[in-house]
Amino acid sequence: MEMWNKFRSSVMLTLLCASPALAAEKVYVYNWTEYIPEAVLEQFTAETGIEVVYSTYDSNETMYAKLKLVKKDGYDVVFPSTYFVSKMGKEGLLQPLDHLLLPNGKALDARLMDKPYDRGNVYSLPYMWGSTGIAFNSSVIPDGEVIHWQDLWNPVYKGKLLLQDDMREVFHMALKIQGHSSNSTDPKEIEAAYLMLKDLMPNVLLFNSDSPRLPYLAGEVNVGMIWNGEAWMAQLENEDIRYVYPSEGANLWVDSFVIPRSARNPKNAHAFINFMMKPEVAKICVEENGYATPVTTALPLLEERVRNSLTVFPTTEILDNGEFQTDVGDALPIYQQYWEKLRTGN
Amino acid sequence: MKGLRLFFFAGIFSYLYLPILILVINAFNSNRYGLKWDGFTLKWFGAMVDNSGLMEAAKHSMVIAVCAATLATLIGALAAIAFHRYRFPGRRILQGTLMTLMMAPDIILAISLLVLFVVIGISLGFWSLLFAHITFCLPFTMVTVSARIQGFDPFLLDAARDLGASESQLLYRVVLPILRPALLSSWLLSFTLSLDDVIVSSFVTGPSYDVLPLKIFSMVKVGVKPEVNALATIMVGLSLVLVLMSQLLIKEKVHNGNVE
Amino acid sequence: MKSKTQKLVIGLVSSWLILFGVLPLLLLVGASFLAQDPLDFFRLEFSLDAYRQLVDPAYLEVMLRSVKLAAITTTLCLAAGYPFAWMTARLSRSSRIAVLILLMIPFWTNSLVRTYAIRLVLGTQGLLNTFLMSTGLIDSPIRLLYTDTAVILGLFYLMLPFMILPLYACLEKLDYRLIEAARDLGAGFPQILRKIIWPLSLPGVFAGCIMVFVPTMGLFYVATLLGGARQLLVGNLIQQQFLNARNWPLGSATSIVLILMMTLMLAGYYFVLRRLAIRRNAP
Repeated sequence: MEMWNKFRSSVMLTLLCASPALAAEKVYVYNWTEYIPEAVLEQFTAETGIEVVYSTYDSNETMYAKLKLVKKDGYDVVFPSTYFVSKMGKEGLLQPLDHLLLPNGKALDARLMDKPYDRGNVYSLPYMWGSTGIAFNSSVIPDGEVIHWQDLWNPVYKGKLLLQDDMREVFHMALKIQGHSSNSTDPKEIEAAYLMLKDLMPNVLLFNSDSPRLPYLAGEVNVGMIWNGEAWMAQLENEDIRYVYPSEGANLWVDSFVIPRSARNPKNAHAFINFMMKPEVAKICVEENGYATPVTTALPLLEERVRNSLTVFPTTEILDNGEFQTDVGDALPIYQQYWEKLRTGN
Repeated sequence: MKGLRLFFFAGIFSYLYLPILILVINAFNSNRYGLKWDGFTLKWFGAMVDNSGLMEAAKHSMVIAVCAATLATLIGALAAIAFHRYRFPGRRILQGTLMTLMMAPDIILAISLLVLFVVIGISLGFWSLLFAHITFCLPFTMVTVSARIQGFDPFLLDAARDLGASESQLLYRVVLPILRPALLSSWLLSFTLSLDDVIVSSFVTGPSYDVLPLKIFSMVKVGVKPEVNALATIMVGLSLVLVLMSQLLIKEKVHNGNVE
Repeated sequence: MKSKTQKLVIGLVSSWLILFGVLPLLLLVGASFLAQDPLDFFRLEFSLDAYRQLVDPAYLEVMLRSVKLAAITTTLCLAAGYPFAWMTARLSRSSRIAVLILLMIPFWTNSLVRTYAIRLVLGTQGLLNTFLMSTGLIDSPIRLLYTDTAVILGLFYLMLPFMILPLYACLEKLDYRLIEAARDLGAGFPQILRKIIWPLSLPGVFAGCIMVFVPTMGLFYVATLLGGARQLLVGNLIQQQFLNARNWPLGSATSIVLILMMTLMLAGYYFVLRRLAIRRNAP
């Protein structure tokens, strides 16, 4: 009898403790890894009293699948790439932003606003933009040996490459080499790219989108793809890591703030987004993570070496040579089909 | 021959313990990457406590582990008793299910429960995680208690019944107290299994209820984090305590030969 | 005539097991016969597409590679675990307990943490390479991480106790007098091993293999942490289909394959047990 009572009371007690905390205000942020410095989140909580519950993903597809799964008690702020903003917007997964709650949005670079993937910025505001290029360790591979995407196909790199675990970015390489648009919707062009990528697969050691710079820093990988911000962070620890904008054209992308329709705390979400667009906050993000910010008022605040860094802020020439990633509409499943083949059939 | 044996044991044990030892040493190493010794420090333990996401996940894990262990032990014990003493239709099928659950890789359990939750409409969070954890601990608790029941003297029950005890009194006053060591060691086993679980949790928990192994997983995918070393050290210490406790409890079992 | 308490207990246990044990598995089987949906996880429409995709040569090849990794791991566990179990069973009672406790401590430590620890050892700048370079055995680091070897070592590390325990349970029950009798009749150790110890330990061997082989294929986090592009376990495939590609029918079909493999092994186990029992009871 005593045992039973003990069981009962301990179960009750623990179940009581388990009931959701009624106390603090929260905001559930779902973001790419290594994209917001810890200090920034703490500053937000200090200023607003809202606790940030932070989780991460390493690909748009994982984020999208998760969002579909947690329809009810979901996330409040998410950071999809451009083509996912339009996809999710069309499918009704996002709620329109209340721009009255986002006054800091007025300082955003007009060149990144009102884009085809979200006309009128109904659902999104740009958070950070950057590029994907080639990284190599100059103490192992001499400067100038890898300057084209095509160079990665060199059989001397068999089993040595790191590639992003990102479908569009990997296809970008092949499409650019073959002279097509990175946003191609032509099934023949996509197929040609796939066939070219099949030949690349033996060169790949690993796919990594969590923290691509770490294998370079650990000496496991000496050449491959990388995001410019990751290269920037790597260079802070090892100056031998170089970042190259490939001659065929770098992949240029933008990640945006969105609020899912199922968000539990939309007010807190808006507060968070507004906070992130403050110039002092944007400055910290750029200096720590190495990506470019659309917050124009942050640019004068940046340290010299950051402002002058080619890795963080490419020249207009490089931008013109590269291509911004955007929606491919109904061609997306074609890419997905080939991508799965590459990932499993290699 | 004895030398060979010692060499063999030493080899296996060093393989098992070396990585753990490195973790523990690095938890106190001032050098962030642990490639050389930079001096003794406790700062990583401080960093670990400061990491609110990590601490929150640890708290969640503890709550789930305690709840799941308690309920799994309860249901498992009742299941062991039911299968042993009672005859009812479908008994064999249910026993088979339990054994299948135990043998099956966690991932099968994880996705089948995910499909269930999506179909029934239970949103992913605390409750889905709790039900899942209870379910995968259940076969283990049942087997542990079952083993103890096998060595049970049925005359005790007959004697109690002769003295007028009802079924529920039999359970509370005679059966459960005798099963106590098995109940406690089941609880410890379930607690450990629940704390350890990565696979099931990664499928059935939601954004509102992050648990420790998942938090560690996302941290280690992004590289070496000294706070993880500190946390790992504490977890090794915890498991040491749990093992010693469980050994004290199942000492009797070792005497009677091992469970199969 | 069952009492109220009995009914309650039976009811509770049955409903839990049916709801969270039987039903999910049935749903899983059902899901494998559904069609894929580009916007959702599955479409309520009968389709054999999942099974067609399952037998696609590229997909099959990945599964076979995973089977290979699991097989090597199991063999390694057996090779190391069998002598370990045998030697432990021959120790004195107190030494035996000490050895088992020492075996269990890593087992009770979080497996993710242990896999992470292996990564520290196997890295290019990790412990093993640093040690080998400092003693001059090699001049440049060996690539260990992101290979089959790393994944096998990680899996072996996690699964060894699962092989040792059933083996130990079986070998411990062995009647040593049989061996003594054989020795008296002039048999050498190799003969004794082959004709007495091994056959009698077969249930333990099978149990150990069952507890290692199929579960190993589900440990996706080991492949994620230690493996490269080519190291995909069946568990990774399932995870990808469920949480990334959103192809639940294919994910379900893949897991059914795992279930079938496990059932086959269990059937083999019971077959061996019966053969052994028959032989024991033969006149």
